[in-house]
Amino acid sequence: MNAMAEAPALELKGITKRYDAQTVVDRVDLRVHRNATVALVGESGSGKTTTGLMALRLIEPSDGRIILGGEDVTRLSQKDLRPFRRRMQVVFQDSYASLDPMMTLGEIIAEPLSIHGIGTRAERGEQARAWLGKVGLDGSYATRYPHELSGGQRQRVSVARALILGPSVLVADEPTSALDVSVKAQIVNLLQDLQADMGLSMLFISHDLSVVRSLADEVVVMLRGRVVERGPTERIFTHAHHPYTRSLLDAVPVIDPKARRRRSFLSAAEISAATPRLRPADIEPQPLLDTADPQLVALVGSHFVEAIVSERG
Amino acid sequence: MLSFIIRRTLSMLATFIVVSIVIFLMMHSIPGGPFDGYDMPLPDNIKARLMADLGLDKPLWEQYLRYMWGVFRLDFGVPYQSPGETVMGLIAHAWVPSLVLGGLGVLIGAPLGILLGMAAALKRNSWIDYVASTIATLGLTIPVFVISTLLILVFAVWLKWTPASGWGEPKRWILPIAAYAAVPMATYARYARSAMLDTLNKPFVTVLRAKGLSERRIVFQHVLRNSAIPMITIFLPMFVGIATGSIFVEKIFRVPGLGAYFVSSIEKRDYPLEMALMLLISALFCISYLVSDVLYALLNPRIRLGGKDT
Repeated sequence: MNAMAEAPALELKGITKRYDAQTVVDRVDLRVHRNATVALVGESGSGKTTTGLMALRLIEPSDGRIILGGEDVTRLSQKDLRPFRRRMQVVFQDSYASLDPMMTLGEIIAEPLSIHGIGTRAERGEQARAWLGKVGLDGSYATRYPHELSGGQRQRVSVARALILGPSVLVADEPTSALDVSVKAQIVNLLQDLQADMGLSMLFISHDLSVVRSLADEVVVMLRGRVVERGPTERIFTHAHHPYTRSLLDAVPVIDPKARRRRSFLSAAEISAATPRLRPADIEPQPLLDTADPQLVALVGSHFVEAIVSERG
Repeated sequence: MLSFIIRRTLSMLATFIVVSIVIFLMMHSIPGGPFDGYDMPLPDNIKARLMADLGLDKPLWEQYLRYMWGVFRLDFGVPYQSPGETVMGLIAHAWVPSLVLGGLGVLIGAPLGILLGMAAALKRNSWIDYVASTIATLGLTIPVFVISTLLILVFAVWLKWTPASGWGEPKRWILPIAAYAAVPMATYARYARSAMLDTLNKPFVTVLRAKGLSERRIVFQHVLRNSAIPMITIFLPMFVGIATGSIFVEKIFRVPGLGAYFVSSIEKRDYPLEMALMLLISALFCISYLVSDVLYALLNPRIRLGGKDT
């Protein structure tokens, strides 16, 4: 794919969110290429959800830029943003609260079409039923209500609703975290299939690293609002450098009891103290702006880690 | 749905009978009788005659059965304090002012409260929210006789905009209606605010924003609809509670309503009137709860009882 030639589907540049004195998201850069999936991982409170909501302009960033398919949408008014909303959609974790309990599934899935004035009422209903089929439910579900479905089925409805407008970017905020393992696999497969069909770019927010490994092309690890490590998925899973990333990986449950590893989950203080220290020789050549503070530096190729770089190592 | 209504109606009848027994016993357990309140006590033999005429010398269970037999034939007897008319007649004419003033109070107060609560929820933590919440808290905490007195002081005495009291021309209705409106307005403001906030924080509302639906349409098409159920279901019981009159409001504004009879019938041991009033209130509450439950089921797809949707 000639990803270099065309603009990324979604790009965040130095996106920052401050609430009063507290910085929740601190100068995060993200780039999701067409048809690619970037996973944003980190513990709760790391700012990953806030980052996702800022990408959708559902939370206003304090600083930084949001670029959707090459167009800067950071400063657009909500009204001017509307046409862009067709191109970015969202799926949340809580499948029940994500659906209006007073509406039938057919109405829920068709609603984005009516918001954007697409088709007649009958056409919209037809499309909604077609989408129910695409997400593995059948058209007869159109007259049911959300409470009549299981969590996995509801999540399929959320996916159908998100994709009916044919978006280029999907922000999936922990879409599988509330589901059983088998159902989780189904939803992941569904997302992968639809992604391949539609050329969808995904920002996949999750703390579930096993899902991330099977789905993502790139992993971005966040800790207290900052990106501490990023890189190609396999590289992160095999060569994680930052101690926080490693502690996240250690926390992944392993089915084989004999393979039980030493858990080394770190406290916040331990992580701060354990910020990697690198010598300039360890990293790829780059201008060093401020050697006293931790900064994101390139280790190899596109693998970056937050480290303190100094000659003393 | 039909079987639900039938079951509820039967349990309502049972409730009604239990309530009637309890009230009957409580009423008769108060010491004294209808002829003991005078400054000059009646001679015992005359009193005994009067008691026998009214059937009050019979055993309690017999009195109860006789009374309920009358109720069954819609004959509630004659009020002791106004022997020239029937209990039914007295309630019929005394209820009109209470129904008009209390009913209008609820019909005006509830929508005002909903608007107040909506404004508070949409502008959370702004001055609008604080003003609305303060009004709601004051409406619920200041007793209605204080509110009534303040209304008279401000609008009748100082501003001289309205008459202070009375019943008749509609301009006399304004202050009592305002007094009656305070509680429904405050209650609805609180309900509307919390129900709206609850719904506004749901992810589906965030999804609607992500889909590009305007904030106004989100509120009117989705949030309001989801918040409406608790507000609809408290309406009828509230209406019954207020439109049967308040002795405070009716005394202060000198309205010849039903409220005063609740107290006077107990003071005067006016058993037929007291029984009738209590049964009326409990029947109205029973019916209003039944209707609320049915409405709740009809409005909420989650508990739509039995059967498939159309």
